[in-house]
Amino acid sequence: MKIVKSIVQIGYLYILLFIGNTIARLLHLPIPGSIIGLVLLFLLLQLHIIKLEWIELGAALLLSELLLFFIPSAIGVVDYHALFGVQGMKVVLVIVVSAIVVMLVTGYTAQWLEQRKKGDTV
Amino acid sequence: MSLFIAIASLLGTIAIFYICKMFYKKYKKEWLTPMLITPFVIIVILLLTGIPYKSYNTGANVLTNLLGPATVAFAVPIYKNVNLLKKHAFEIFVSIAVGSAVAIVSSFIMALIVGLNDELVHSLVPRSVTTPIAMDISNMIGGSPTLTAVFVMTTGILGSLLAPIVIKVCRFHRPSSRGLMLGMGAHGTGTSKAFEFGELEGTFASLAMIVAALISIVLSTTIFPVFEHLVINILLP
Repeated sequence: MKIVKSIVQIGYLYILLFIGNTIARLLHLPIPGSIIGLVLLFLLLQLHIIKLEWIELGAALLLSELLLFFIPSAIGVVDYHALFGVQGMKVVLVIVVSAIVVMLVTGYTAQWLEQRKKGDTV
Repeated sequence: MSLFIAIASLLGTIAIFYICKMFYKKYKKEWLTPMLITPFVIIVILLLTGIPYKSYNTGANVLTNLLGPATVAFAVPIYKNVNLLKKHAFEIFVSIAVGSAVAIVSSFIMALIVGLNDELVHSLVPRSVTTPIAMDISNMIGGSPTLTAVFVMTTGILGSLLAPIVIKVCRFHRPSSRGLMLGMGAHGTGTSKAFEFGELEGTFASLAMIVAALISIVLSTTIFPVFEHLVINILLP
């Protein structure tokens, strides 16, 4: 029963996605419909137009299996033979260095801002 | 036959993913993450059987499609933790703005240093953003959206592998700094990694991912072209 409920609720999320896509297309926004759908759902929850229990199970199912949905795109790499050699190693190097720098900077900035704020209130 | 391959691809991907997940839970080694092992196993199978990616993807595409409603679903943890997020709005915005700028600049500079071609450089620039938006940005700045999709994935996998090390070395103990760096550094995969740490971490990560997407659209279409012009024409004449 729970799985049926979850699937129906995923259907509701698809409706929101469809509305988001339509808005993006009609207004020529450079923002994907999924992000517009997200903002829309958030607003509808805030305004109590949509009740949390209508979508909570479906949302939880999708979010807990999120990694699975990324797998087919990752496998797309097989079509880029050039990336299997030196070029690919260079790309990986760029991504590793840049990812570490981004995480360090973001983490330290967030931590520093938190601590500063704490210092202000004390 | 092609219908058979499509169905086998979909069910096979799901089965391999869950088997990998079981192994990961049992042995708890970061490099065993299903994010790394599942694509590896499937790529080996495709190469051995000679099934082209296109035929594989006609079935497996169903999973990619679910990313749409899954992105919409991020509204739920955000809604549940809205008070917390209001309280931290300033830190979130500032650290993600800084993170997005660093992501764009560091990818660009590093790609130039190792000597990649123009198409690869521009496909790498939006790599820190969630896939659909990264592909749009790539298109706008002259990269290849399909290559960008692959780089976004690689960023997600490597980012979630590196994140626990960064967290340990830098002693990021707050849920906010952990979540923000994961969502910023490894978008969707980072966010699901963040949910492994806790719901609070996951919420910060989802928010980071969304804010990063919006800020990156603005940065890469307004400031990046100017920055690129300066670096290429003035610093490296």
